[in-house]
Amino acid sequence: MLKNYFKIAIAVLKRRKFFTFISLFGISFTLTILMLTTAFIDKMLSPDYPDFKRNRSLYVSKVERLNTKEGWFNGGSASYYLLDHYVSNMKIPEKIGIYTFSDPVNSFVNDKKIVLELKYTNADYWEIAEYNFIEGKPYRKGQLEASELVAVISEYTKKQYFGDVPSVAGKYIEVDNIRYRVIGVVANIPRTQRHFYGDIYLPYTLSKADYKKVEPMGNFGAVLLARSADELPAMKKEYEQLISKVPTMDEGYDKMYSNADTILEGITRNIFGSGNDSGMAKSMSFVTAVMLLFMLLPAINLININMTRIMERSSEIGVRKAFGASSKTLVYQFVVENVILTLIGGLIALLMSLLGIYIFNESDMLPGLYLEINVRVLLMGVAVCLFFGLLSGVYPAWRMSRVPVVQALKAQ
Amino acid sequence: MYKHLFRLIWNKRKQNFLFLSEILVSFLVIFALSSFLVFYFMNFRKPLGFKYQHVWAVSYSEPLKTKNLDSIRTFYDLLNATLMSMPEIEAHSLSSGNFPYANSVSTSGFTVKGKNYSYIHNYTVEDSYLQTLDLKLLEGRWYRPEDAISKNRNVVINESLRKQIFGSAPALNQVMGDSKKENEKMKIIGVVKDVKANGDYWPSGSAIYYRMDSSSYTWVGTMLIKIRPGTGAAFENKLHKVLAQHMKNSNIEIKHMDEMRSSKNADTIVPMTIFVIIAAFLIINVALGLFGVLWYNINRRKGEIGLRRAMGATANSITRQLVAESSIMATISVLTGTFFAIQFPLLHVFDINPMVYVFALLITIAFIYLLVVLCSIYPGRQAASIHPAVALHED
Repeated sequence: MLKNYFKIAIAVLKRRKFFTFISLFGISFTLTILMLTTAFIDKMLSPDYPDFKRNRSLYVSKVERLNTKEGWFNGGSASYYLLDHYVSNMKIPEKIGIYTFSDPVNSFVNDKKIVLELKYTNADYWEIAEYNFIEGKPYRKGQLEASELVAVISEYTKKQYFGDVPSVAGKYIEVDNIRYRVIGVVANIPRTQRHFYGDIYLPYTLSKADYKKVEPMGNFGAVLLARSADELPAMKKEYEQLISKVPTMDEGYDKMYSNADTILEGITRNIFGSGNDSGMAKSMSFVTAVMLLFMLLPAINLININMTRIMERSSEIGVRKAFGASSKTLVYQFVVENVILTLIGGLIALLMSLLGIYIFNESDMLPGLYLEINVRVLLMGVAVCLFFGLLSGVYPAWRMSRVPVVQALKAQ
Repeated sequence: MYKHLFRLIWNKRKQNFLFLSEILVSFLVIFALSSFLVFYFMNFRKPLGFKYQHVWAVSYSEPLKTKNLDSIRTFYDLLNATLMSMPEIEAHSLSSGNFPYANSVSTSGFTVKGKNYSYIHNYTVEDSYLQTLDLKLLEGRWYRPEDAISKNRNVVINESLRKQIFGSAPALNQVMGDSKKENEKMKIIGVVKDVKANGDYWPSGSAIYYRMDSSSYTWVGTMLIKIRPGTGAAFENKLHKVLAQHMKNSNIEIKHMDEMRSSKNADTIVPMTIFVIIAAFLIINVALGLFGVLWYNINRRKGEIGLRRAMGATANSITRQLVAESSIMATISVLTGTFFAIQFPLLHVFDINPMVYVFALLITIAFIYLLVVLCSIYPGRQAASIHPAVALHED
């Protein structure tokens, strides 16, 4: 049965090549855009170098203080004091990585300026993030406490500052008039890894700003690592309870918010979040609305064309009806035909996505970020294909199957 | 004739429903796109209002670990003297973090004659800011050292704010601020030309310039430096060294304003280009679809067209009729779309010049008609070229 439908579908596709072209163009273009978008989102959200433990990590990146009476508001990253004095007492986390969000600084080589993203971290940071050390190793707790002038640099920094040399461990790099000894070189990280991106990593004890200041807000973030993914909800709760007991440290404010978020929650909180609401529901409905709006036009177009194509076949339908085929069978046939068409479109879209990803990766638009089509993205693509096929096939088929036999037979 | 055509279409409204909704959605997409493009273009045509060439922005963090005003004053006096002694530097000024092309916004509000004005950009700057960025003074004067001790707080505003508050009435020497709080009174001493601080494609917005007072020096973290043209690359390294020596507690970064401008403009151009490409593909998709559907519909009416030809209608008049039919169908969608589109300026959804919507609407309407006419002219021509005898024979 299905084999017959398949044969008919191919025959119909060959009959009106122009219409086939229009349908396939619409389907494959729409699906390509969707696949590229999902590949990008997937890359952003799933565990990736150097953050492979994402499934059991929560991130602290925002602290807000509020004066509930006057409506004053003050927000920013956490301070070292808050993380060290309060958060480090948490029971559930196995390890807590503390770091600053990277800041650009200048360094000069033969009067040529290099812009480096500078990041201060603690020692546990290196055990949570699995950096790929090309040479050397990270700084240890002892070195940190002794405020040794040591630095871990990225491959990019190595190339920019030292040029093409085999080994730089033990050499010195000068930033803001201070010379640091290079003890490790790590592979590059894309800028989209907001918590881990940097060109040069220094022990936080070398921070030029007064990191011990008693205030809740500063330039620091933290990653809390649980022993297993199951502990995340409990860890979230523990953090929430902890923050509710921390004083605002300023009489002007009477309430303080801060949350330990997953990567996705961190993103949605930045866009739609307020107070303790992570903005997840709002973001999801926004993304769905945009996707649906984007698919609306090609979908209507496809329905339109399908309608035309099916009407063209009214005599065939008339004959089948006259010989006793039920409306249900006919709808089924048309939907199958349409799904076949969509799947062909999906195949073209897959090829186009591969090409698009290849071009994106080659162009180095976002250095260090390499997209790929993985199984999840592919399955999502197939699901969208089927959805599209059903959506654009059911309505025209239903309309056609209701045309009276006599009229259908007479049409041509 | 048009009334008759309209009735023909109305009778077939159910069949044409999909066609109509397709044009409606395309209308909305093109309207959104052209609104953006018109908005950007109108801003692009306005003058920049300052000179970014040869200006460097130095960011530094908390150079001193003290809040003592005297020692901060001494620190900046010393820094000032050092910079003044360098022949490569033409002018320099401290500035709040929201200098042109920085990703930083700072706004405030105040009252004038009982009316509240909010979301006004405020720039806190030094006397030398005018010279460093080459702002154009339109009325009155810029700050002088004696403004530090004047009774009122003297302020300079920009053209847009002047227009917003005073219209064409005189603005100089007017007093703004909350009348209840004596110390917040501000006297306008000058008006400067608008500065497009957010890149070439965004409006300057209303802005007020405050003169930096002694307490500002505790938090300021940006210095703008205008370099004499023709200064070699080595000077940047030298400047960085000198600054780092002065500010031992800071991380220092020097940015070039022309590079900041390019990246700020790219923030607008890159998403817009992606949007335009996607919209273009959607429109090609729709155009092909419309073409196909119209072609099919017109071909089905061969009998009717043959009859009209036999009755003496010319090929041109047939084509005209078919094109007019699709145009009328498009009109129904265009009217519905226009109804939705004019809600934006009427409800003030976004705070932008209503002329943007007017132009965008005109472009959209023209584009939709062009699209529909182009898609129906070829099928119409083909149908009209059929020989009446052949067409009549078919049925």
